[in-house]
Amino acid sequence: MPDLRARIFAPAKDPLWGAALALLASLALSFAAIALSGRDAPAGFADLAAGAFDGRGPLGETAVKTAVLLLAGLSVAVAFAVGLFNIGAEGQLIWGALAAALVGRSQVPFVLLWSLLAAAAAGSLWALLAGWLKVRRGVHEVISTILLNWVAIHLVHGWLVAGPFAAPGSGAEVSVAGTARVVPAAWLPRPIAGSRLDAGFFLALAIAVAVWLFTTRTVRGFEWRAVGAGREAAEASGIPAGRRICEAMALSGALAGLAGALLILGTEHRYPGVFRTGYGFDGIAVALVGGGGVWGSALAAFVFGALRAGATRLQLVGIHPSFAELTQGLAVLLVAAPRIFQPLLARLRGRSAPIPAGDA
Amino acid sequence: MSALELSGIVKRFGEVLAVDGVSLSLEPGEVLALVGENGAGKSTLVSVACGLYPMDAGRVRAFGKDLPPGNPRAAIAAGLGAVYQHFMLIGPLTVWENAVLGREPRRLGFIDRRRAREEVAECARKFGLALEVDAHVDQLGVAAQQRVEIVKQLWRGARVLILDEPTALLSPPDSAQLLSTARSLASSGRSVLFISHKLREVLQVADRIAVLRHGRLVLVTPRSQTNAASLTTSMTSDPSRNSGTQYATPHANLDAAGQSWHSQLRIVSPNSDLRLEGKEIECESERGRPALRGVSFRIGRGEVLGIAGVDGNGQTELAEVVTGLRPASGRLALDGDTTFNRSPAAARAAGVVHLAEDRRRRALCLALSVEENFALGRQGSGPWARGRWIDFAGRRAKARELMAAFDVRPPDPLARAGALSGGNQQKLVAARELLGGPPPALVVAVHPSRGLDEAARRRVHDALRSARAAGSAVLLVSLDLDELRALSDRILVLFEGRAAGEAPPDAGDEQLGRMMLGQESARA
Amino acid sequence: MNLILDFAPPLVFAALGGVLSERAGVVNIGLEGMMRFGAFAAAAGAIFTGSPWLGLACGALAGAGAAAVHALLSLRFRADQVVSGIALNLVALGLVTYLLQAMFGSPGVSPEAPALPRDRFGHSALAYAALLAPLLFHVWLRWTPSGLRVRAVGEHPRAAATLGVRVLPLRALCVLGSGVLAGVGGATLSVGLLGQFDSRMPAGQGFMALAAVVFGGWTPLGAAAAAFFFAAGDALQRQLSFSLHAADLRLEGIFLALPYALTLAVLALGIGRARAPAADGVPYDPEG
Repeated sequence: MPDLRARIFAPAKDPLWGAALALLASLALSFAAIALSGRDAPAGFADLAAGAFDGRGPLGETAVKTAVLLLAGLSVAVAFAVGLFNIGAEGQLIWGALAAALVGRSQVPFVLLWSLLAAAAAGSLWALLAGWLKVRRGVHEVISTILLNWVAIHLVHGWLVAGPFAAPGSGAEVSVAGTARVVPAAWLPRPIAGSRLDAGFFLALAIAVAVWLFTTRTVRGFEWRAVGAGREAAEASGIPAGRRICEAMALSGALAGLAGALLILGTEHRYPGVFRTGYGFDGIAVALVGGGGVWGSALAAFVFGALRAGATRLQLVGIHPSFAELTQGLAVLLVAAPRIFQPLLARLRGRSAPIPAGDA
Repeated sequence: MSALELSGIVKRFGEVLAVDGVSLSLEPGEVLALVGENGAGKSTLVSVACGLYPMDAGRVRAFGKDLPPGNPRAAIAAGLGAVYQHFMLIGPLTVWENAVLGREPRRLGFIDRRRAREEVAECARKFGLALEVDAHVDQLGVAAQQRVEIVKQLWRGARVLILDEPTALLSPPDSAQLLSTARSLASSGRSVLFISHKLREVLQVADRIAVLRHGRLVLVTPRSQTNAASLTTSMTSDPSRNSGTQYATPHANLDAAGQSWHSQLRIVSPNSDLRLEGKEIECESERGRPALRGVSFRIGRGEVLGIAGVDGNGQTELAEVVTGLRPASGRLALDGDTTFNRSPAAARAAGVVHLAEDRRRRALCLALSVEENFALGRQGSGPWARGRWIDFAGRRAKARELMAAFDVRPPDPLARAGALSGGNQQKLVAARELLGGPPPALVVAVHPSRGLDEAARRRVHDALRSARAAGSAVLLVSLDLDELRALSDRILVLFEGRAAGEAPPDAGDEQLGRMMLGQESARA
Repeated sequence: MNLILDFAPPLVFAALGGVLSERAGVVNIGLEGMMRFGAFAAAAGAIFTGSPWLGLACGALAGAGAAAVHALLSLRFRADQVVSGIALNLVALGLVTYLLQAMFGSPGVSPEAPALPRDRFGHSALAYAALLAPLLFHVWLRWTPSGLRVRAVGEHPRAAATLGVRVLPLRALCVLGSGVLAGVGGATLSVGLLGQFDSRMPAGQGFMALAAVVFGGWTPLGAAAAAFFFAAGDALQRQLSFSLHAADLRLEGIFLALPYALTLAVLALGIGRARAPAADGVPYDPEG
């Protein structure tokens, strides 16, 4: 299997346009699918939109989910920059969540900060493992991160959270099991009453801007992208490729870990026995649809977040909420065939424009 | 009836017109040479003839029968066989498997291995091609691989053999062998289409010569009625070429031109300050075999040391060692510093620049833009950056400057490097390495003008000479003996990882060829 | 031992599917999704027709259908093959859950499906097929003209093209074949083993099959051997878990993680042995 080259995104010359088109198309297809199955598609979509945007509560849900997806997506995108396919965001997110949940139980000052840092560190280390395996042992990261995901899932859910770290007295009922609650000082503040919107959303946005600045405007970011675009050439020019890869994986894992922290410190306030994992995998979809760039990922994260927030309302028209996953998969599928879009894009823009150097 | 008849062939790739209405015929029993500069359309024309690409207009006929366009099977069935520059061989498979692929002899649904092996061996014997049919192709040397390609075509009954730049990677003796193979194929009644830019060889082997320029056929002439000078004139459209510049004619009269250059130089003899010194350098190849077995050399300030040798005798590894890409034992010092080659970054910091052999992999990040590629290697310092932040304006300006200096086309700093033609990519690399920063201490140039047309070649050679004049030491590795002779002050021949001898820049093909094959060890 | 023969076939078939696709030069990360489609279609088919054999056929067809999408994207549109495979997995995840709910009303498991008959050792025909298939595959790959062409196309498609081998159709056939094999692997889970479809199927086995392909050096015999090895590990894990009452000790997680960790360790130590086909994952452009 070849190393992933940044070139796979080059055909979609404008990643943002590519993302927008893919998302629109997948929504349209989903609409058609619902209609074809005999259900009331317009009503369904209206309910979906309401569930995502109608009022402080729904908007808060959307924001919360968008934030997690954004960080997870950035995690994958950052790894793409250096040419790696980090499918392990899920495992890194899980470790980050656990770390946040455990540290967040303590009574130390600045516990929120420590919890976030612990989450970042945990995710970072798990990702570094895959990075090290790649650089030192040549293990392809797609396989190693997939395997590491399953190891994380099983170790954390099947052992750590159920055993050593289970809250005392939680008993054998899986649905109330989990770690002890995080202290209130470690909760991400919720500025708006009546909404679950928390500071994590703003944190995620700030991080997105920082990542964008880093990858597009700094020398180090350039070196990462050079390694991703041509590892041998980068090495021959003096860039220590192995080190840069590990750096990028460390950041990638940290971002995924933070995504997990956001879930714990913002919403769940403990590591629950039954944890709705999957954000890590969704992060892959976000990064892919977003063409590996920050703003494309942000758009994708927003749409997917809204979908998740509103999807529960689809049940009102008799559609299982897993439909949102289907839409996501479709979007990725559509983005994976850039040539379908390229002639269209070229016509829309008159002629194909080159990638402006300053954009991610 | 002609063996092969091309009528009015037109082929476009997107907006580029590669072949513009070419009509050509090839008779049985003759060797027809097709010459032209890079990008003239030779390879495209051949690919169309063999059915690899469908033509946009025109017709291909073999032995009187029209060939359906874009159908390699039909072309093969009609007796056309091509040996390309980049071998179309499948490494892990054996010689016989490569030869019979697509037409496998069968027995009860399985491949009839015995028959396949015997037939291929017999075919090779018949045409005097030395081959071991059970060898795995990826373990054969270049000349042997070429023989596999030829046998492959002959086993399939090719009556027309198309050879695309066949001697590009061969040593002089192997080239001579190839030329005589071409002639014996012709005398056996087959036809050979011989594509080359090496006019000396073409004048030796061909019955007729056809010249392509910018996709058009400008001349077809019997060999007896032409010479190198008139061929060159037809090949190029650049009038300045004939007005007394150093390379009035390529290759054929090079000795004279080279001679005058060097006699000029003798007046300004190189300063004998030692810059690069290597003693008993030993290293391993990528596969773990010994590549350099105790090579010693010295390069002085303002001196060019040319490294000659058949591909695979250690030149690649030598370049890698000196640029910090490969560890080696022995003493290696640049301006007295023995640690300069511990890593590519250290080498760069010590003033080593590298025009790499495999530019697409080693020198360019194809997915990045042209201007980003210019920054590679110097991205952290001015004018490319200010502190930790990229200086976009400075980078843009410097990139434009470098593009202009070497006429890199298209002149768009934001174009993807991967979209540039091979020649322009090479120009980009040359510009970056030679002009992108302060005068280098050491220039390591490996096949610097491979794939370049005459104008680009000249620019690169001029830049190398300027570096030399500025005092850089230059290590020049090339398979092109003319290039080596034109640029080097001394030529070191490598054979099986050892220095087989040193020769003066006016050494002849024969002498160099013998050294390259380890048959002669001479100290000039 | 018996357990291994139960657990191995899904992995073996899926791994063989992976080998087929990759030897032809097309990376197939979507094995998991193809298995999922196969498992579900087999169960549904068996339930509706009452015959587990027809169910098996449905599973094979479903796998082929999913593979067809992968082939279309990778070959016709020259999309990145890893991305296409991942997309397939995502779609399989959502679509099958949705269909399970829509067709059978339950998000967890399907109703009981007629299962394949078992012989006196307790094995279905598929178990024996899993022993035979790798050998047949190996012979085909090495000794037949089509096998030679597949190998050629995975290493150097352009060279094969110059000799008249039709690269894209051959690759497409191999991808479809890999879908059939993965679908059969999935079907083995639902119709061959469990007797129903569980919404978590194949629960990562598609990825383990991928690891088997790599571990086995992209050869049919190697991948099959690896699959058997992993299945043995899985069986061992269940025995240990059961006998140590791991569930009570809440140590299940360690045992469940063990096969994956072991695979990783083995990969980390031994990856240098063989390499993927040279053109694996590189989209083939007929025009240049």
